[in-house]
Amino acid sequence: MDLQILLLLGQDGITNGAIYALLALALVLVFTVTRVIFIPQGEFVAYGALTLASLQTDKVPGTVWLLLGLGIIVALLDGAKLLRERRYAKLPPLLIANIGVPLIAAAGLFAMPPAQLPLALQVLIAMLLVVPLGPMIYRVAFQPLAGASVLVLLIVSVAVHVALIGLGLLFFGAEGSRTPAFTELSFELAGAPLQGQTILVVVASALLIIGLYFFFERTLYGKALRATAMNRTGARLMGIPPALAGKLCFTLAAAIGAFSGILIAPITTIYYDSGFLIGLKGFVGAIIGGLASYPLAALGAILVGLLESYASFYASAFKEVIVFTLIIPVLLWRSLSARHVEEEEE
Amino acid sequence: MCRLPLPALAALLAVAPLLLPEFTITLLNYIGLYAIVAVGLVLLTGVAGLTSFGQAAFVGIGAYTTAWLTTTWGWSPWLTLLVGLALTAMIAFFLGFITLRMGGHYLPLGTIAWGISLYFLFGNLEFLGGHTGISGVPPVTLFGWELKSGRDFYYLIWLVVLLAIAAISNLLDSRVGRSLRALKGGTVMAEAMGVNTPHAKIVAFLIAALLASVSGWLYAHLQRFVNPTPFALTQGIEYLFMAVVGGIGHVWGAVLGAGLITLLKQWLQDWLPQLLGQSGNFEMIVFGIAMVLILQRARDGLWPVILKQLPARHEKRQVATAEILPKRPLAAANSVLLEVHEVSKNFGGLVANNRLSLRVAAGEVMALIGPNGAGKSTLFNCISGVAPATDGEIRFIGERIERMPSRDIARRGMSRTFQHVRLLGQMSVLENVAIGAHLRGTQGVLPAALRLDRAEERGLLAEAARQIERVGLGEHMFDAAGSLALGKQRIVEIARALCSDPCLLLLDEPAAGLRYREKQDLAELLGKLRNEGMGILLVEHDMDFVMGLADRVVVMEFGEKIAEGVPESVQRDPRVLEAYLGGVD
Amino acid sequence: MKKTLLAALLTAMAAGAQAEINVGVTLSATGPAASLGIPEKNTIDLMPKMIAGQKVNYIVLDDASDTTTAVKNTKKLISEHKVDVVIGSTTSPNSLAMIDVVAEGETPMISMAAAARIVEPMDEKRKWVFKTPQNDAQMSTALVEHMTSNNIKTVAYIGFSDAYGEGWWNEFAKIAQARKLTLVANERFNRADTTVTGQILKILSAKPDAVLIGGAGTPAALPQKSLKEKGYKGVIYQTHGVANNDFLRVCGKDCEGTVLPSGPVLVVAQLPADNPVKKSAQEYVSKYEAAHGKGSVSTFGAHAWDAGLLLANAVPGALKKGQPGTREFRAALRESLEQTKNLSAAHGVFNMSAQDHLGFDQRARVLVTVKQGAWTFIK
Repeated sequence: MDLQILLLLGQDGITNGAIYALLALALVLVFTVTRVIFIPQGEFVAYGALTLASLQTDKVPGTVWLLLGLGIIVALLDGAKLLRERRYAKLPPLLIANIGVPLIAAAGLFAMPPAQLPLALQVLIAMLLVVPLGPMIYRVAFQPLAGASVLVLLIVSVAVHVALIGLGLLFFGAEGSRTPAFTELSFELAGAPLQGQTILVVVASALLIIGLYFFFERTLYGKALRATAMNRTGARLMGIPPALAGKLCFTLAAAIGAFSGILIAPITTIYYDSGFLIGLKGFVGAIIGGLASYPLAALGAILVGLLESYASFYASAFKEVIVFTLIIPVLLWRSLSARHVEEEEE
Repeated sequence: MCRLPLPALAALLAVAPLLLPEFTITLLNYIGLYAIVAVGLVLLTGVAGLTSFGQAAFVGIGAYTTAWLTTTWGWSPWLTLLVGLALTAMIAFFLGFITLRMGGHYLPLGTIAWGISLYFLFGNLEFLGGHTGISGVPPVTLFGWELKSGRDFYYLIWLVVLLAIAAISNLLDSRVGRSLRALKGGTVMAEAMGVNTPHAKIVAFLIAALLASVSGWLYAHLQRFVNPTPFALTQGIEYLFMAVVGGIGHVWGAVLGAGLITLLKQWLQDWLPQLLGQSGNFEMIVFGIAMVLILQRARDGLWPVILKQLPARHEKRQVATAEILPKRPLAAANSVLLEVHEVSKNFGGLVANNRLSLRVAAGEVMALIGPNGAGKSTLFNCISGVAPATDGEIRFIGERIERMPSRDIARRGMSRTFQHVRLLGQMSVLENVAIGAHLRGTQGVLPAALRLDRAEERGLLAEAARQIERVGLGEHMFDAAGSLALGKQRIVEIARALCSDPCLLLLDEPAAGLRYREKQDLAELLGKLRNEGMGILLVEHDMDFVMGLADRVVVMEFGEKIAEGVPESVQRDPRVLEAYLGGVD
Repeated sequence: MKKTLLAALLTAMAAGAQAEINVGVTLSATGPAASLGIPEKNTIDLMPKMIAGQKVNYIVLDDASDTTTAVKNTKKLISEHKVDVVIGSTTSPNSLAMIDVVAEGETPMISMAAAARIVEPMDEKRKWVFKTPQNDAQMSTALVEHMTSNNIKTVAYIGFSDAYGEGWWNEFAKIAQARKLTLVANERFNRADTTVTGQILKILSAKPDAVLIGGAGTPAALPQKSLKEKGYKGVIYQTHGVANNDFLRVCGKDCEGTVLPSGPVLVVAQLPADNPVKKSAQEYVSKYEAAHGKGSVSTFGAHAWDAGLLLANAVPGALKKGQPGTREFRAALRESLEQTKNLSAAHGVFNMSAQDHLGFDQRARVLVTVKQGAWTFIK
């Protein structure tokens, strides 16, 4: 193997690792705040990419209907509660946010062919269609189970994943899609070609990670989330409602997922069920970070990307065998080094 | 553990094939296959608290072993069953040896990792037929009777299901079963009661893997075709799904979950096209939503919901009398039991205990007092082996124990309670206390599963009942431990500790949360134990309680011993007053 | 075709009112093989509702690309729905797993999966099993011929890490070695992989004259795009699995010049008028596109269509020997299927025999290339 191949493989591994890292961060965030191991994280990747692809081929993406459907369910659930408590003033904003906005979105898509719009606007529309699904899913599926055990939350998470995969197949069909590259630039690095889009993925991921850092360190909402992650009861006592924290982190996770999907759609083909494996590898990164440490999770994710890249060169048929077998000793090492006198969890 | 009238059910199952249509039998066959794996998961995940996504891989090992050996080498399926079990045991032992050391979420991911690895290994090994699979697996023959049709095979499958359920129910209702159930509350308590927790985890893991392997063997001979997809991660997740939806804490929940999910899928397949037309594929969507709704309504699974609907069954509320268990010889009066010499414990840079020394003799109550954060519980953990000391020497009845795991220390006659109560809330007080008697029994998994352990079991339970009466909780013997007031739960912990027949008792704040009367009773009990020759080391904040009971007192502050002596002299010590009152001005 | 139908109609009328014919279908409309199974499912809707004057019911079940479910479905179709024939399934492992069930249920089965092992070697069980897709060997031969006549000496292979990629490799390697082609690389990738850079670099370092990609549907575009991106200049071959328009949409200009074998249905409009398959293939394409839009047709759906044609052709003969829903009818249907002669279908001309339950010849495959973003007939 020569240096050029080594470099190319490294570059490939880091590109994928960057996406895994983003997902790993989202998974760590969701887990620390809500104790949900968010298996459907990957579906947001697929939904983001495929919604954008639908817009570009002038199809109305099925995600609009999902948004509307979930919006109605959320409005019914929360509306009933408001009516019972006679807080009528809160009803209009609830209805507008959950039913009005999706309706306007749907109408807008029918009125105006989105394929003519500039790329940036298409990306924005795709994000607006997919990201609200995050908090809505939290409201409908997870909020009623806030106190349940991690295992039950995990199984619900799997059930949501199954439903979303089914919907994805219904909306986007079994065949995959690609979107045009954001940039056609191409560079040369030590004699190896380097696509502009690849650099974009890595840079955008890095920027997003830095952005998240500032969000958690500097903003009120970010601090509230961190407080909830550290101590749920304490945060509640300090006036941070757990449902708000849950919705907020699901919004962030959905945004990160959809954005990741939009980032990689030009360099690979995305299918309705692509999300699971991508999410799983992000999950491996998150676990290497102990579901707690953001930098370690990001590093772990990049490690997975690199392992995968080199394994696919040496023995592609056994790629998954190699990657997941090598993960086991890493997990063992991480688990043993994280060992302390346990506080039981029940 | 709930016991349905097994014989009645067995009879019902036996006549079912004569009455039911062919396809119902087919479904029952698959339900049975899934249930066998799910029962294993109940033991592994529901009881021992170890979440595994990898069971499908063990099903695959069982299926592939028999498929390969019967088609390529012409071996008898009965022989390959044994080979498959042996192979599964070896692989499970190896995987368990590595992954079961992982705590928290490392374990589920570890199981995902080897689940995926094994799946792709099946698919890429040419002699196993690759991704395309092995066809032509022969049917099983029993005394010349070829189990070719689904109806014939039905009996074999459900025989295995019932045997598995009976064996696991028996196992859970035994000494080993209690030690497995103790794992869910964390390993610290189980270890302190003398349970070898790595061993217990491996046992649960092996049993679950072997059940999965048997299911795989049955699958291969029912399907007569084997390829990798049924053993993929998605199927591994589905097994867990079945167990959780059915009720992961209940053996019958596994059968219910397997049945429910299999039937639900069939109903959806039959009815959805009629409702929504044949153009789309709505089955997955509706299935996912249905599962979310079920778990929102019944988060512990459906079996507990069904149990609630049934009239309360008449449970046996009596503990059979049995011979008193042999007791260990008492240490000579006033001989030194525990000798702590210059023990230090550091957490990173923080020194929690600094060169601490103390002694406890037989027939003595020694109290350890000090403000919060003085390092009392840390010292308890060092002595009992929960978190070994960084430096120094600890002797117990003359033996160095500072490097021993807590189960070995427990075996030598030291028992303890915990500051934060570590009981299993769902289990009865009797069963909780019986965990304390773990080291006084010897019967293992096989005798328990076959009910050959009953004589010993009677002895252990009788002993537990005796200790419960002794601490005055006789009326709560069959209540769930979690339903008791916190103060009473502490007393249950004392009964559990006493059940191990200790010569030294470590009590961490035993009187906290007790009412005045209860404290008096406790003091009286401890006094009696002292008179019997037991050594007692206790941490307590209630000064009246301590000063009235203790023979000697050690006072700690900031990890160091600041005073030691009889209660009267310690109470007058200026350093003690300063520590407690912030100085005498 | 019309003549036989008419004849059948007449005999049926003569025989008077009879029981309805139940056709059980299990296919992979979800799961990894969904891109194959969905057009098949769409095609079932286009099949005749009446054959030889008998009402035909289609019971369609999804097996989610899973063997256990495929077997469960087959058992359900046979024991619950008492079907007279089973069509399915989409993938080779699923079809292989179903053989035992249909043989025991004495119900003929028409598979839509490629592996030759489904109907070979002929034995007591496989006598109940027929299949419509061309064998991978047949397709491989066409490719290897094209390679040798274009002076290609070394070939690299990259295929799906599943039964499809494996089946192609096995057949292709056998034939290529016999024809003195040197195989320089054998790589695998997963359908949903986001990158195949590692595999492509390995292939490039072996410097092959040509690369064969063994994948189905849009996922097969990823290695091709990767090869082009890394500057590969040799010929790239694909398999008939990619033959739908979604593949062209995703692959775009990177697929120009790609060569693949296919059933004639893919390029029906360009076939010479004397091609025996032209008319029957055209019928399918126009029916499918009328229902699902222009350019929506895929060759996988045509495998299902061919199964329907085989059935429509065999039922009249079988009706003479028994009532639908009886054991005699199923046995007669099996015999009748086995005697299919000169039946022009979407993918070729069927000539079955007791030994050959596929019955395709050279007419069942054409070579196709991609020119200006469209499938173009070579020969």
